Amino acid sequence: MGIIALGAAVAVLTGAGAGIGIGLATAKATESIARQPEAKGDIRTALLLGCALAEATAIYGFVIALLIILSLGSK
Amino acid sequence: MAEELMEQLDNHTAFTIPIFGGIPVPDSCVVTWIIIAVLVLLSIIFTRNLKKVPTGSQCILETFMDFLDNFFTNILGKKGKKYVPILETFIIYIGFSNIIGVFGFVPPTKDINVTAALAGMAIILVQASFIIEKGPLKWLKSFLNPINLLDLVTRPLSLCMRLFGNVLGAFVVMELIKHCIPGGVPVIASGYFDLFDGLLQAYVFAFLTSLYMAEALEEEEK
Repeated sequence: MGIIALGAAVAVLTGAGAGIGIGLATAKATESIARQPEAKGDIRTALLLGCALAEATAIYGFVIALLIILSLGSK
Repeated sequence: MAEELMEQLDNHTAFTIPIFGGIPVPDSCVVTWIIIAVLVLLSIIFTRNLKKVPTGSQCILETFMDFLDNFFTNILGKKGKKYVPILETFIIYIGFSNIIGVFGFVPPTKDINVTAALAGMAIILVQASFIIEKGPLKWLKSFLNPINLLDLVTRPLSLCMRLFGNVLGAFVVMELIKHCIPGGVPVIASGYFDLFDGLLQAYVFAFLTSLYMAEALEEEEK
């Protein structure tokens, strides 16, 4: 039981990568909006798309953790 | 409480069609039928009595369709005009089925079979558009580049898992919140998890599919 919990916890650590990635993307986006405010709409679209894609890796980790808990924990 | 949560994460059979020894019809299928009925009804209501100078509900319809048309035509270019309707169907269906958690139904995209089917359809659409525009020989030749072969496997996998994971995560968090703080708080949380996240995932799915198609459709410089 203990090692299942550890396994699930390690799987969710992928959230760290998503946090760093989205933070960097937002930093560059705000910088470029400050440099050229006319391109706000395009930059916002690109930022939203980039964030959704980067979030995907965190979601994969979450799904794996859920699968570990559900299929191994109930045995 | 963990048992009832796990119970909700499985897909249940709503009813069984009593032919050929019983075909089980899962919950997600029934909710998809409901979504189909609602969308067909909305289409009929909104496209009745279309006038040349729009008034009332026709304005909403035109704004919405203009937005979707411009969005996809910007990515696909003029050559991709015939693929825009199916991409719009993807985004409307996925958007609706992610949001339907607000109305008390179980979202059909919580079932991994549904997302896998959608991802499979998207990839078949991309390959078919390549074959239609460039011919089957160029399609086979494109696989000499091994990254294209790998893309054939990883792209549908990531599309499927991204949509499934987001909808499942939103569902789990909403169930936990509803269980722990049953006051008015679930409404605010549902605004982010169900509505914003659901629409964003529909947008990302359609955007990525159209991006893959634009890659396939792009003209080579000679």
